[in-house]
Amino acid sequence: MTARCPLPAPVTRRLRTAFVAAAFCCIATAAPAAEPESPDATWWSLRPLVAPPAPGNIDSTWARTPVDAFISRTLDRHGLSPSVPADRRTLIRRVAIDLTGLPPTPGQVSAFLADDSEGAYPRLVERLLQSPRYGERWARHWLDVAHYGDTHGYDKDKLRPNAWPYRDYVVRAFNSDKPFDRFVLEQVAGDVLFPTTVDGVVATGFLAAGPWDYIGHAEVPESKLDGQVARNLDRDDMVRTVLNSFTSLTVQCARCHDHKFDDVSMEDYYSLQAVFAAIDRADRPYNPDPNAAARRGALDRDHRQAKLRLAELQKSLAAKGGKRLKRVRDELDRLGRGPTRLPAYGYHSSISTSPDTPKWVQVDLGRPRKLAHILIVGCHDDFNNIGAGFGFPQRFRIAISNDPAFAKGVITLLDHTAADFPNPGTRPVAVSAAGHAARYIRVTATRLAVRQSDFIFALGELAAVGPDGHNLSVGRTVTSHDSIEAPVRWSRRNLVDGHYHRVKVTAAILARAVQLNRVWTTLRSELLTPEFLARRQAIERQMARIAGQVAALPKPAMVYAGTVHTGTGAFRGTGHQKGRPRPIHLLARGDIRRKGKLMRPGTVSVGGDLPTRFPLPANHQEGDRRVALARWLTDRRNPLTWRSIANRIWQFHIGQPLVATPNDFGRMGEEPSHPELLDWLAARLRDGDGSLKDLHRQILLSATYRQASSHRPDASRVDNDNRFLWRMNRRRIEAEVVRDSVLAVAGRLDGRMYGPGFQDFVIEKPQHSPHYQYHKHDHNDPRSHRRSVYRFLVRSQQQPFMTVLDCADPSRMVARRDETISPLQALAMLNNSFMTTMSIHFAHRVSTETPRLADRVRLAVTLALARAPDNDEIGLLTTYARRHGLPNTCRLILNLNEFVFVE
Amino acid sequence: MKVAASRRDFLWRSGGGLGGIALAHLMQSSSVRGGSEPGVLSGQLHHPPRAKRVIQLFMAGAASHVDLFDHKPALEKHHGQKSDFGEHVEAFQNGLGPWMRSPFTFRPYGECGKMLSDPVRALGRCADEMAFIHSMVGKTGVHSQATLLQATGFQRPGFPGAGAWVSYALGSESDNLPSFVVLPDHRGFASNGPKNWDTAFLPARHQGTIIRPGLRNPIADLRADPKSFVTDDGDREGLALLKSLNQKHQLATQGDSRLEARIRSYELAAQLQLAAPEALDISGEPQHVLKLYGLDPPRSSFPTKINVPEEISYFGRKCLVARRLLERGVRFVQIWSGCDNGFPRRNWDSHEDISRDHGPLAEGMAVGTAGLIADLKQRGLLDDTIILWTTEFGRMPSTQGTKGRDHNPYVFTNWLAGGGIKGGTTYGPSDQWGYKPADRDKPTHVYDVHATILHLLGIDHEQLTVRHNGIDRRLTDVHGHVIHDLIA
Repeated sequence: MTARCPLPAPVTRRLRTAFVAAAFCCIATAAPAAEPESPDATWWSLRPLVAPPAPGNIDSTWARTPVDAFISRTLDRHGLSPSVPADRRTLIRRVAIDLTGLPPTPGQVSAFLADDSEGAYPRLVERLLQSPRYGERWARHWLDVAHYGDTHGYDKDKLRPNAWPYRDYVVRAFNSDKPFDRFVLEQVAGDVLFPTTVDGVVATGFLAAGPWDYIGHAEVPESKLDGQVARNLDRDDMVRTVLNSFTSLTVQCARCHDHKFDDVSMEDYYSLQAVFAAIDRADRPYNPDPNAAARRGALDRDHRQAKLRLAELQKSLAAKGGKRLKRVRDELDRLGRGPTRLPAYGYHSSISTSPDTPKWVQVDLGRPRKLAHILIVGCHDDFNNIGAGFGFPQRFRIAISNDPAFAKGVITLLDHTAADFPNPGTRPVAVSAAGHAARYIRVTATRLAVRQSDFIFALGELAAVGPDGHNLSVGRTVTSHDSIEAPVRWSRRNLVDGHYHRVKVTAAILARAVQLNRVWTTLRSELLTPEFLARRQAIERQMARIAGQVAALPKPAMVYAGTVHTGTGAFRGTGHQKGRPRPIHLLARGDIRRKGKLMRPGTVSVGGDLPTRFPLPANHQEGDRRVALARWLTDRRNPLTWRSIANRIWQFHIGQPLVATPNDFGRMGEEPSHPELLDWLAARLRDGDGSLKDLHRQILLSATYRQASSHRPDASRVDNDNRFLWRMNRRRIEAEVVRDSVLAVAGRLDGRMYGPGFQDFVIEKPQHSPHYQYHKHDHNDPRSHRRSVYRFLVRSQQQPFMTVLDCADPSRMVARRDETISPLQALAMLNNSFMTTMSIHFAHRVSTETPRLADRVRLAVTLALARAPDNDEIGLLTTYARRHGLPNTCRLILNLNEFVFVE
Repeated sequence: MKVAASRRDFLWRSGGGLGGIALAHLMQSSSVRGGSEPGVLSGQLHHPPRAKRVIQLFMAGAASHVDLFDHKPALEKHHGQKSDFGEHVEAFQNGLGPWMRSPFTFRPYGECGKMLSDPVRALGRCADEMAFIHSMVGKTGVHSQATLLQATGFQRPGFPGAGAWVSYALGSESDNLPSFVVLPDHRGFASNGPKNWDTAFLPARHQGTIIRPGLRNPIADLRADPKSFVTDDGDREGLALLKSLNQKHQLATQGDSRLEARIRSYELAAQLQLAAPEALDISGEPQHVLKLYGLDPPRSSFPTKINVPEEISYFGRKCLVARRLLERGVRFVQIWSGCDNGFPRRNWDSHEDISRDHGPLAEGMAVGTAGLIADLKQRGLLDDTIILWTTEFGRMPSTQGTKGRDHNPYVFTNWLAGGGIKGGTTYGPSDQWGYKPADRDKPTHVYDVHATILHLLGIDHEQLTVRHNGIDRRLTDVHGHVIHDLIA
């Protein structure tokens, strides 16, 4: 830490940056007012983490957990004393909202008040920690930090329909009290470390949680500067997401220059980019059922073996008559070879999701013609190097008829619908028409060709050879079951354009092709003995059986994750190179055109003897880099990881963190108010079993947490901000808690967990840039009555009601939410149709439970505030309800300060 | 290292305590000074200001400089000839066809003789008020990043819009209107939507408030659904009762100014309910003023195809509303022309046909803008109101297809007018084609434009900072130079 901790260099006044220079730089304006600490002092966050002993000699009548010892000592030091305990009604509302994000029900309140035993409060805490509502509440905190969203953001802001499995993972992780180190490992490299588990794979949704520049990736290839800029920024987001959330280090400052205040060099930063150099944000499959995954693996293995046996068999065939067959084959191949590549490929059907959707294409010769032979030729698709035989059906038949519907008078010339036809590439396949006369020729594919994960039928040429050897089909009308018309490459017309692959089909070529096909067929029938056929059929049957079993397995689901992507067009990813990481260069001033030296994967120095460059063998895989980073993050010598999470946990309970800048533990951040308490919590987490629930208990059961939040003029004169916690903070409830609490008291909250997010908007114009129309949503729609953590989160156009209540912005990593009060908030709480709709439900609910108006008012207040109203309040509210209706009264109650503040 | 700048935010955010200090500050000012909110620099500007408020006109989709304001005789001379840029050019799509002259005719205007194209001829009478920058350069040809760059100074989401910074620095002069108002295109948002006027890490009250003139609820939730149970009488009595119940609760919970702030926010909300419709009601404007903005006679139905009357009507109305908002103390108004990049084109992204889209969009923009400049001038408001016309980047001087132009992030045009700006000037010419700045070593960046605007507002752009995640953030990042040549 000492060597590279420069005084903040005065920032150059005139920094001319060229085009595509640093997209966003981050040095402070001029130098900050104060100088950093003396260069040889280790900055607090990088000191080795050692558990400090809890202070002795403290007020043992007040303290309940070691937390209190630390707090008490600091209070003493400043001449402060703790506050009295909060009353029990306040306490249950406080801890219920804290742990579950929902107000306690009147029944829960009265049960707690009735139990004045010493164990009542710990039991309450335990019950709430075991509630599934806990994970939903605390997942939201982590999702703020991870900047999780359900759309890409940027231009177009398209939907990201498979992001939610990651959100569910976070809910599950909190509920199951997943050890924190495992939580870190999974999110950075779970797909490598725990590949057969659901959590291991979906957790990597973390790496992809942030925004993605769709245009910069899907429309601009990596060969262009704009494409490289987009990918550089995308990796930068991954680096920041991992380092800021787990270690509270603002490494991103070093993208354009060595960090001015912390020990992060540009080399460190680009070493971190190298860790993510192979991955992109994309959907990847996972098996929701781990047993199915194992079963699929076994079946895939069997299938591969059967395929090998089949290949052996074919080889034996080739050995017997191989030479002659090969000669014929080669000549057939040569027939189609010409000097120039033709732009027209052939006919291409629509795309099907299943292979067994029959599709046909047929040629109308205009009138019945006598036919000697029919030839069909596969396509050669140069695009994406797919090559010869693209789209040639696995099973098909060729038939002729004078009925365009092929309902009657059909003569089948070739029927290969019972067994697969080996793909002939671009070798012509000829069948005899035996001189029959017919007007229509139809090729019907009964099992389509496999594309990537879907199925098609494509054909390059169809020739109808007349008795005189001439092709009768040239320029004739072609019809088909369906077609993708994308000239020049793909069009029905191409099927009869008189060319196949590279040459014009002359009568001589046709004659030779027919002849060679005849030889080919004869040769094969000599070789294909009944014994051979039986053996082959047995293998094929076995393969079909396996395929059926695979198909019957639960389908793999998709999660949007940080993953090796194999794509087409501009967004190709690294999958085509087997996930080989892209070379990452140090970029002078962050400029993509000023490439410096090639970077190895690594990380930053956090002091101690933790290595900063990962010692990986030359032939390592992409995932090894992420594993190395994950291991570095969870290394017990890493002082930041444990402090970072302990600080966050404290913040969400107490309302203010111990370190006021939770995403920045560097020199530009704040120092901890209680450094030893922070270390005690952090070390407990690290040295124990990584249980966050244990940390919760330490804090929640403390006397510190249980204090009243009342104002005390004497103490506030000393510590206005309550930095030393002489009382508990009065907390305002967050946007999600407002919404969920309103639903709960209105009796509408749907507690179903998990699954795709509900949409509280109507999507218009989804084809290009979806318009998210929130005002058109009907809040009576029960699908939108689930908890807010399951809300579908749009980045560009955020939910206005939630946004005005300071909900986290999924485009930014939000370590601490704003807490603002504004007239627009008041208007939303009064007039948003969610509020007016729920006010009606709320009124309806209390009306069904009790007949008298005053009792209804009493119940409404009790539900919303966890306390009964006094007579004065009942009188005023009942009078108001009589004059303006119960829904108006319920709406008023939901607007009370006492409802939107915890206490 | 303790930093005063973050103190404020810390207090603002802190979960309890006297977390209300920033709010108290809001409340005090509200009661003491009649509701307006000071900014961090109120009463302590860095130097005497030349202007007090800003209007930003944003052309979404990238408006073509060479078809509006940056006349290129060379393109007329070499029209149809193979384009040669003298270097490899990376086009966004494939717009490197032959040189293409503008489909529009250019004519000189004003004493300065500025050449303007016919669709923007309405601005001719303001030519001597306008200062053009023809050497603007961007960083990317990708719409989303480029729009963010011009709107927030950064290429990706998560940074405050220029209006949020101005609001943060100067506060509001209005008793009951937001200080930063956005008037979006009536057809929808541009790339990135509300991210362009985000408050990001600045306090939320500096967020651009969307106002949609002409709607029943021009501001979200200003009024409840008229079909609901909510009535004016019920609200009047309800708000009084809410206040008394809240005050009773507050008496029992001394020392937390947030509770008082929240009580006050309901009073401000009630004031906004009255103030907003009044500010947006243009029915009382005299006919000669409506005429100025092209709004006389008013029209309300239009053909489905993009057309001039519709553009004039919507843009003119936004300009007139902007003037009314500024008069009532709003600090920064952002007006958008054009929505997202969908089809059919309803923004300036004329890859296919410059004449088809730029024609009506430019005419609508020019008529409304010319009316606004003239109206501000006759009211004496132009002297301390800055007008900035901008877009995400320019368009290539070469052809895309037969009539369109591809993106040109290598050069484009901005212009400024009003408070402190030297009218009738042209700064930083582009090269003969309009491909790059004439002097490639002297490009103008958005940082320079922002620095100049802040300078005119009395703010040193290097001194207006907010610490966020360990970094002292500025609107101008680590860049920006005041363009003194543009200042009168």
